[in-house]
Amino acid sequence: MSQAGTKKGAVSKINKNVAINSLIVFVVLLLAWVAGFASRLFAVIRFESIIHEFDPWFNYRATAYMVKHGFYNFLNWFDERAWYPLGRIVGGTVYPGLMLTSGSIHYILHLLHINVHIRDICVFLAPIFSGLTAISTYFLTKELWSTGAGLFAACFIAIVPGYISRSVAGSYDNEGIAIFALQFTYFLWIKSVKTGSVFWAVAASLSYFYMVSAWGGYVFIINLIPLHVFVLLLMGRFSNRLFTSYTTFYILGLVMSMQIPFVGFQPIRTSEHMAAAGVFALLFAVAVLKYLQSMLSKSEFKSLVIFGGLIAAAVVFVTVVLLTYAGYIAPWSGRFYSLWDTGYAKIHIPIIASVSEHQPTTWFSFFFDLHVLIPTFPAGLWYCIKNVNDERVFVILYALSAVYFAGVMVRLMLTLTPVVCMLSGVAFSVILELFVKDEDSNSHPDTENDETSHGGKRLYDKAGKVPKIIKHESKEQDAIGPNLRSIAAVVFVLLLMLFAVHCTWVTSNAYSSPSIVLASYGSDGTRQILDDFREAYFWLSQNTADDARVMSWWDYGYQIAGMANRTTLVDNNTWNNSHIALVGKAMSSNESAAYEIMTALDVDYVLVIFGGVIGYSGDDINKFLWMVRIAEGEHPKDIKESDYFTEHGEFRVDAEGSPTLLNCLMYKLSYYKFGELKLDYRTASGYDRTRNAVIGNKDIQLTYLEEAYTTEHWLVRIYRVKKPDEFNRPRIPVANRVIKSTFVSKKNSKRKKGVIKNKPVIVKGKKPAVKTQ
Amino acid sequence: MSENKKIEIMWKILIFCLFFTVINSAEVVNKNVINRKVVRSIDLNSQLVKISGTITLENAGKEAVGNYLIGFERDLQGSIAYITVQDSLKTPLKAGRVAVVGAGTTEVFYNVQLKSNVEPGKTATILYEVVLTKALPPYPSSITQKEKQLVRYFGNHYFYSPYYTEYQKTDVLVSSRAVETYSKLKPVSQTDSTISYGPYEKVPAYSIDHMTIHYENNAPFLTVTRLERTIEVSHWGNIAIEEAIEIKHTGAKLKGPFSRYDYQRDTSSNHHSIKSYKTVLPALAHSIYYRDMNGNISTSSVKPKKDYIELELRPRFPLFGGWQSSYILGYSVPSYPYLFRKSNGEFVLNVRLLDHVFDDMAVEELETNIVLPVGVSNIKVKTPYEVKRLPDGVAYKYLDNIGRTVIRASKSNLVEQHIQDIEITYGWPSHMLLHEPVLVSIALFLTFIIVIIYVRLDFSIRKPEHAKKD
Repeated sequence: MSQAGTKKGAVSKINKNVAINSLIVFVVLLLAWVAGFASRLFAVIRFESIIHEFDPWFNYRATAYMVKHGFYNFLNWFDERAWYPLGRIVGGTVYPGLMLTSGSIHYILHLLHINVHIRDICVFLAPIFSGLTAISTYFLTKELWSTGAGLFAACFIAIVPGYISRSVAGSYDNEGIAIFALQFTYFLWIKSVKTGSVFWAVAASLSYFYMVSAWGGYVFIINLIPLHVFVLLLMGRFSNRLFTSYTTFYILGLVMSMQIPFVGFQPIRTSEHMAAAGVFALLFAVAVLKYLQSMLSKSEFKSLVIFGGLIAAAVVFVTVVLLTYAGYIAPWSGRFYSLWDTGYAKIHIPIIASVSEHQPTTWFSFFFDLHVLIPTFPAGLWYCIKNVNDERVFVILYALSAVYFAGVMVRLMLTLTPVVCMLSGVAFSVILELFVKDEDSNSHPDTENDETSHGGKRLYDKAGKVPKIIKHESKEQDAIGPNLRSIAAVVFVLLLMLFAVHCTWVTSNAYSSPSIVLASYGSDGTRQILDDFREAYFWLSQNTADDARVMSWWDYGYQIAGMANRTTLVDNNTWNNSHIALVGKAMSSNESAAYEIMTALDVDYVLVIFGGVIGYSGDDINKFLWMVRIAEGEHPKDIKESDYFTEHGEFRVDAEGSPTLLNCLMYKLSYYKFGELKLDYRTASGYDRTRNAVIGNKDIQLTYLEEAYTTEHWLVRIYRVKKPDEFNRPRIPVANRVIKSTFVSKKNSKRKKGVIKNKPVIVKGKKPAVKTQ
Repeated sequence: MSENKKIEIMWKILIFCLFFTVINSAEVVNKNVINRKVVRSIDLNSQLVKISGTITLENAGKEAVGNYLIGFERDLQGSIAYITVQDSLKTPLKAGRVAVVGAGTTEVFYNVQLKSNVEPGKTATILYEVVLTKALPPYPSSITQKEKQLVRYFGNHYFYSPYYTEYQKTDVLVSSRAVETYSKLKPVSQTDSTISYGPYEKVPAYSIDHMTIHYENNAPFLTVTRLERTIEVSHWGNIAIEEAIEIKHTGAKLKGPFSRYDYQRDTSSNHHSIKSYKTVLPALAHSIYYRDMNGNISTSSVKPKKDYIELELRPRFPLFGGWQSSYILGYSVPSYPYLFRKSNGEFVLNVRLLDHVFDDMAVEELETNIVLPVGVSNIKVKTPYEVKRLPDGVAYKYLDNIGRTVIRASKSNLVEQHIQDIEITYGWPSHMLLHEPVLVSIALFLTFIIVIIYVRLDFSIRKPEHAKKD
């Protein structure tokens, strides 16, 4: 009886410990979620609950369509308002995960009669998912290292700018949910490698399926996991657990990923996915060899491995090459090449290079987006390498590949961010275990000064890690004196505080602008909102024919479709380069040549963005060289980039600019009537604030187009394309029509003038007889 | 040929039937009533035509007269939005639309019930006011950005009446001195912005002489093409009002390009385009929002005045002729000035069927939806004027598992004078107030219970590891 009693007591004591620990974990994760959610709301609070940027507008439009018409109609949706006259099969060309996620949230909420507008769900989806990302990062890091490191990582990823940049409220983009799916898939993968259970492998493949449905970045998973397996094989760490989890994951993941219409047969037909298949085959080969090893002698086995391996590798390689040549396997796509050769896109695919987020990353943006994490994450990496095991191999590979990709493209900073957070979490956790562990009483004030979430983490570290650290303790206690410990503790707390401040500052200043609403601040601090984009789009939606076709540069395609609900020629889904080049050609030709293109494309309105009045730098003139380049790529005979530069190779809009530029359609449409406008008393009329120059062609006459609408700050200018009977021929009332009589018919040999019946005879100096009544 | 004949016959039958029905309910004109003196004034300052008149009638017969007919020419048939008739003490008189024996079917007559019978030989005075919409077609119908907007008014020099008129006079007020032309039926004179016609004497019944006035009118020609007003009543003390408004500039259409440069340089306030207008909200209105399908419209200002709130609304873009826009305006008011409890426990809701959008407004289509609280019964609706009751709807607001009754009404062609209260009486059990809070509490309670059960119980097949370790 008494034995049972003590046992019970011990169990309850343990339960209590577990309860406190899990409470702390719960509280920290909850706070991380709340902090992450809150810090993403700057744009909503400063402006309003609105969809940002460009791509989110398409996602929002598609989601709204799905909510209105149902999922199957969405999959069959042929959007005739995009890519006129081609149209776009939306269901087959999107990753539907994002729309499905918000659509199902909308559905569930409406079942409970919580009538939230679908726009609000779209706006707040990314901030909510950032909390889920933090939680899955916690689990992943916990599997890799420890609970403490996990909590650090969760708090880091909740507020790190590198991830916030793609997940602020209103930025309704695939990446917002994809990073969660990515981290969760990795967590489940690690779990399945650790346990070797089919359950976790199936869960991983389900999560992978969600990732495939959400973002094209799933290719990263389907290459990283095979890489992990491959490296483990190289390291001689083959195990039945690995075999079970990878084979299950690969087959299920493959079959499920092919259910996404947009992905289709790509997983078995493109080079990007071949590595996974190869590793799958290799894993089987290794398994067979392992089996044979137990049956054969050592020398037999050796020769078998060498010959069999070489032959198998050669056969596989030759098969892949042959299939590629035969066209069964598509070679690597252009975007993929540009990952290896940073100059590739600039030479071969200007349309990819023209997107700013495809540019190589500057060293500055690493610090800007990751701050203190970037110097600490190598430390975490080093700890992982030092204490390597199966799952740490994974995170090492993850870190190395992500660092490389982030260096190639700014956009891929996003895949680097989670691993940096995880490894920094490891580093911070190890360091704090080292320095703060023994001094519970001393470090309390420090932690309480800090943010609650940070305090919570460190508290947890101390409480939870006690039994594990005793070993380290005995070695290092002598080496580090109490003073040093407290100094180190303060330094780390300060670092973390600085990190929090930096994150908030970056989020607030750099990543929280909706970009469709601009704000300018007067000298007295008053804010003026420049709402020109919506003004123009709303004008289009209200005052043009429902089927009017609007030509603009592709950047604005999604916004025109989303906000103005009008047909566009090209949009941000840049799948058809030649169509974009045609629009680029129209913009860079002179008016009459452009008119031919525009009539061929049935254009009714032309929309240009012009920032010269307010000094907005992202306008069409600044993007113009890309239009020329893309047009030149397809029409090298008609458009030459060099024509748009001055003799000294400069791109100038003032009087010294090249005449081709000064007379091209884009220039004319941007500066029409601008030459007369005086912005203030000090500058000359026609002074362009964006390019700081007085424009070169002040007297612009339009023959084939007329100004239809210009917004308040001239930011968006819309022109109507005249119909063939309208231009160049001012309509004269019948009464005023005069027939010139100087014409002499050459056919008539007698050179006799023609006679018009009832022609009034006018005698000079004599008043014509006026009929009076 | 035969088909044509058939159609002709059908038409004849149709017209005959029409006549028959009309005659059945038609009013007979009492020839003994004469208009002793009629003074009219036609106000053409805004986009509306406001005709007000004073009629002195005399009973020249031998029997007392209890009613009087006010008539309008057929041109006005579609445009009469509102009519009021008062007696000399400004007490309103009942006026209903009737057909009249001996007059065409397209003319409009209102039968005014006089307050007291007019004895033979006696006179009585009545005042009437009519508001006409769409009675000022722009001419020319399309103009360029720099041109002025000219409109024409077509009317009648005489007071159209089924009675003989002895003496009448008409003043026409136009918005500016810039009158292009006006028809001249002598005696006529123009001073400043007033054109005076008359006096005309001894005018027979049903006299028509066409009056045309062509003048400059730069008042905003803004029409609300559709107004959907939703009023949501909460017994927690709030009434939320939301108006979805579609507006259109119905003046002269813009011809040719719109030039922002010229628009910015032209600072004169007297332009035919509409930059902004003022909406008046109740003084207690709060949480005002002004947005459209693309989000918030950031160009508006709220000015609280002594007994109302003035809201200056600027559409996203200036409206030129033929341009249209739409927006949503919403606000909340506390319920105490609008919702009362009668002694028998029933609730009375008095809210405006239509509210102010801008001065001299013209509303083409109005639909008012009144969302009553959950669980109302015994609904009685009293409208200030005739409206078309649409079938009641059901709305599900936040956390409603039982729907709310929606009273729906619609009417076309409304003006400012239609801003009147609708009265809705209904029964409502007070305990329904706690319906939703209780629902939420139960849901939360259940969630916590489930979590507690889940955490306390061990669902795993294997034994927990730490127990073994211990």
